[in-house]
Amino acid sequence: MAGAALAGRPVSMVEAVRRARQAAASYRGIWSWVATVDHKRIGMLYAVTAFTFFLIGGIEALIIRLQLAQPAGGLVDSDQYSRLFTMHGTTMVFLVVMPLSAAFFNLLIPLMIGARDVAFPRLNAFSYWVFLFGGLFMTASFFTGNPAGGFFQGKLGAPDAGWFGYAPLTLTKFSAGHGIDYWALGLIILGVSSMAGGFNFIVTIINMRAPGMTLFRMPVFVWMTLVTSFLIVLAMPIITVALFQLMFDRTFGANFFNVAEGGTPLLWQHMFWLFGHPEVYILVLPAMGIVSEVLPTFSRKPLFGYPFVVFSGTAIAFMSWGVWAHHMYTTGLGSVANAAFGVSTILIAVPTGVKIFNWMATLYGGSIKLNTSLLFAVGFIAMFTVGGLTGVTHSIVPSDYQQQDTYYIVAHFHQVLVGGALFGLFAGIYYWFPKFSGKLLNEKLGQAHFWLMMIGFNVTFQPMMILGLLGMPRRIQSYPDGMGWGLWNMVATVGALAIAVSIMVFMVNIVYSMIRGEKAGADPWDGRTLEWTIPSPPPAYNFAEIPQVRALDDFWHRKYAENESGVPVPVVAGGAYAEEPHGDGHGIHLPSPSFMPLIAAFGLPIIGFGFIYDYALVAAGAMITLFGLYAWALEPASE
Amino acid sequence: MQHAPAVHQAETSTGIDNRKLLMWLFLASECLFFGGLIGTYLLYRNRSEGPPFPTDTVYNGVPYSGVFDIPFTSISAFVLLMSSVSMVLALAAIQRNDKRGLRAWLLCTALLGMTFLAGQAFEFTEFYREGLTVHSNLFGTTFFVLTGFHGAHVSVGVLILLSLWVMALRGKISAKESLNVELAGLYWHFVDVVWIVIFTVVYLIQPT
Amino acid sequence: MTAPRFPFRLLALATLLLSVLVFSGCGAFDSAQNTFSPKGDVAALQRDMFVLVLIPATIICVLVFAALLYIVVRYRQREGDPLPKQIHGNDRLEVAWTILPIMLLVGLAVPTVQGIIELGQAPKASDLHVTVVASQWQWSFQYTDPEYALADGSPLISKELHMPVGRKVGFLLQSPDVIHSFWVPRLAGKLDVIPGRNNQLRFDAQEPGTYSGQCAEFCGIGHPAMRFTVIAQTEDDFQAWALEEMNAQAP
Repeated sequence: MAGAALAGRPVSMVEAVRRARQAAASYRGIWSWVATVDHKRIGMLYAVTAFTFFLIGGIEALIIRLQLAQPAGGLVDSDQYSRLFTMHGTTMVFLVVMPLSAAFFNLLIPLMIGARDVAFPRLNAFSYWVFLFGGLFMTASFFTGNPAGGFFQGKLGAPDAGWFGYAPLTLTKFSAGHGIDYWALGLIILGVSSMAGGFNFIVTIINMRAPGMTLFRMPVFVWMTLVTSFLIVLAMPIITVALFQLMFDRTFGANFFNVAEGGTPLLWQHMFWLFGHPEVYILVLPAMGIVSEVLPTFSRKPLFGYPFVVFSGTAIAFMSWGVWAHHMYTTGLGSVANAAFGVSTILIAVPTGVKIFNWMATLYGGSIKLNTSLLFAVGFIAMFTVGGLTGVTHSIVPSDYQQQDTYYIVAHFHQVLVGGALFGLFAGIYYWFPKFSGKLLNEKLGQAHFWLMMIGFNVTFQPMMILGLLGMPRRIQSYPDGMGWGLWNMVATVGALAIAVSIMVFMVNIVYSMIRGEKAGADPWDGRTLEWTIPSPPPAYNFAEIPQVRALDDFWHRKYAENESGVPVPVVAGGAYAEEPHGDGHGIHLPSPSFMPLIAAFGLPIIGFGFIYDYALVAAGAMITLFGLYAWALEPASE
Repeated sequence: MQHAPAVHQAETSTGIDNRKLLMWLFLASECLFFGGLIGTYLLYRNRSEGPPFPTDTVYNGVPYSGVFDIPFTSISAFVLLMSSVSMVLALAAIQRNDKRGLRAWLLCTALLGMTFLAGQAFEFTEFYREGLTVHSNLFGTTFFVLTGFHGAHVSVGVLILLSLWVMALRGKISAKESLNVELAGLYWHFVDVVWIVIFTVVYLIQPT
Repeated sequence: MTAPRFPFRLLALATLLLSVLVFSGCGAFDSAQNTFSPKGDVAALQRDMFVLVLIPATIICVLVFAALLYIVVRYRQREGDPLPKQIHGNDRLEVAWTILPIMLLVGLAVPTVQGIIELGQAPKASDLHVTVVASQWQWSFQYTDPEYALADGSPLISKELHMPVGRKVGFLLQSPDVIHSFWVPRLAGKLDVIPGRNNQLRFDAQEPGTYSGQCAEFCGIGHPAMRFTVIAQTEDDFQAWALEEMNAQAP
């Protein structure tokens, strides 16, 4: 390790760590990534890791689709199938969409508010490492075998009770083996990661804005990050409680969900969905924020109705707490509850509609550049409209009694999560990739990716609406012939393969562009927000001078003034900001790298393994985490 | 040359220190956490399918005496409450650079916290002897998990206090670093407030 | 430079293709679990409510798509285009597109609540009473009315659900193990069978026939196969069947 045996003299542990931190500060070598506390690097780590899990979740989906393409598909048995759909959902929600959003928060928030890093850089690194270890912990479960046999006998150890794990199916009595333990403990660990990130971004956004950047001069993406972070820190504790309760039932024989002792399975559902509904807005609000940045830039006009878009996002977050039992209409809560939640769910469509209309008004009258990023943003609008409208059909409660637990629901949530969140995230990738890599993504490959994905996505999921209305329930590994389901399942599978091809095109684009892509300057899109004022890729310190902000879309106003008809006219001296930074970063103190976040994070999965296999591991993991935390608290933040 | 704000101090958009804001947010999330546990306790109150019970109850025609000893628990609640007083005094001391006062009141707070924990341990072993366990019935499950998590939070608090005390012994805390003590104090007071809620809702207020 | 002509023909072709695709699916009209082919009052009401919201939803969807397509084509950036006018918003529009959706949604909310109340009625004394026992992974139907009791007082039990046409059946749902869901799509929407709870459902069949039911809540490894058959018969046929069963099961 760095310098430990320099000049042949033995060096103390403390000194060795100090030298390693200094070496890591040079941004060179693998250790500089291991000890990084730089938000841009952490963002890239999140992005690459999340994308890897996306490929895993995608393979799970492909196996599911191949199994269902025909009535008695013989690819996987019922046991394997249940583990696949459980892990597909869990992976995509917790290991893909949330961390991809976190990647964007990390890369962009400090740049958009004119800061040099987040409020707590080491806590930021800790969030990433906990996510990585939590994801590995949960995914490892595939290989641990189950009571019926080992991995090499085709027996998987992954959890198998669905991504929402209803009790009492998840109790030991009905789920022997450790799959559910991996699920619950893994989610608790991942919750720590999400919450740490949530706290960090709230403090960063509230406390570290550049001078002059009032809340209503912040970009919409920053607003959505703030709102999402509040949802995270308030919703995750609830599912944490439920998961602990489940683990107490499984490990210590507690009675939270034990019907024989008077427990009720509905307790689990209420707690899960009290978390679960805000969670789906956690999944989509960041993507909505991205769309709100992409559309104005490529229409060359400001976002229409900025205060209303901000207000709608906030309203959605507030209202998301009042609709949870719409996931429970068929549990027999009674007419009063169903009516109340029916009405509240019907109404949550209103702020969403406001956003959609404002986005369309942004495009209207603009000068629209139809590049890949914009196409994904427009695709978002179209697909989210469909997804949102199918959501309204669920809120017409009596018809939901037929739709619940069928492929109609599967269609709805994929519409909003893939056609919505994922499309928004891709729009963001094509938009900001040049900023962080210094290269433009190839436009031809991008268009191929978009059209293949758009068509493939619709071919996969629109038939599922029909399947649901034809009475096909969810989570069945096979279905009989003669139900009228065969054709549409086959069509959906073909669509899924098209999506897979589109992702491969995307991956080729990334690799190709990193190697031979066209160089991007600081401001390739004639952007409106602060991140475009600094070089691509940004220097470690982001801004040589912290900017003074005078307006919303401050950068645009530095470049253009408006004439009497409201048409922009280039400012004579404008644009010069983007060329050379004033100064080269000397004298700027940056937080020092640290290994402690990783060490503190590393103990957590060990504690998890300990609860499953041997309590001695719990002690060992706790020691590691405690050591990491103490060393973190005592080391200086920057030297 | 520009001197950028380093991570921890000074010019924040609200004037509140970053770490203080972080602590308040953390405590807000803890409200949801304990809210879930207390809510579960309340949902399952009086729905146990058998003994032991918290207060004297007649179940299926058979009288059972309750396990709660309100006088005892009141004393341990009082002890925890007093520890919040000593915590306030510790912070007041270091804010006027009274390092001896800091050491004394920090230790006092930690000792009172440990006394509270000892009281919990004693109380729980008594309950255990009377047959109340995490798997005995709904009351045992909800009670032990709720108070157990609270006790874990108190224990973490005691660890933090003792760590600060050791740092204070080494002269590492002066008025300039009083924020650390203030943050510990916020956490400690929160843990105390949670106990006040638990004591009131679980022990004192019994449905008729 | 003239604006490009709006691609009406392309749009018409796409709509035609899409409709063919969608409605060919409905050729599975008589498929055993088709919610669009109800054979009972409850399923019919649920289908009608779905159509009630489907119409405005489809109209809105088509309008939004058409608008998007128009905007993206009409305002596409061309060589030498000047920067557009920087419009920041329009408060009147904001009010309009907040209020109008609210009005539409309130309009949908009223029949929704009415439907919830109508479908939430508890079984009446005059109904046929059946206790549905859902367990991993089979269904059992117990006829608990006194006229179907066996000699020793225990109820008539059947693996298939027989129902007399035109008479409401009150179902009591019980599970000894995990959560299942009782669902006969052509007769009624589903209701979960939750251990420790006594959920009740009430529906009828309006036409004789054989219908398919399936568990609709994931309940473990046997979930995909947890299906059952519903045989709706005329009142006479039903009584005949019941009598035969009672004799066969007599101890």
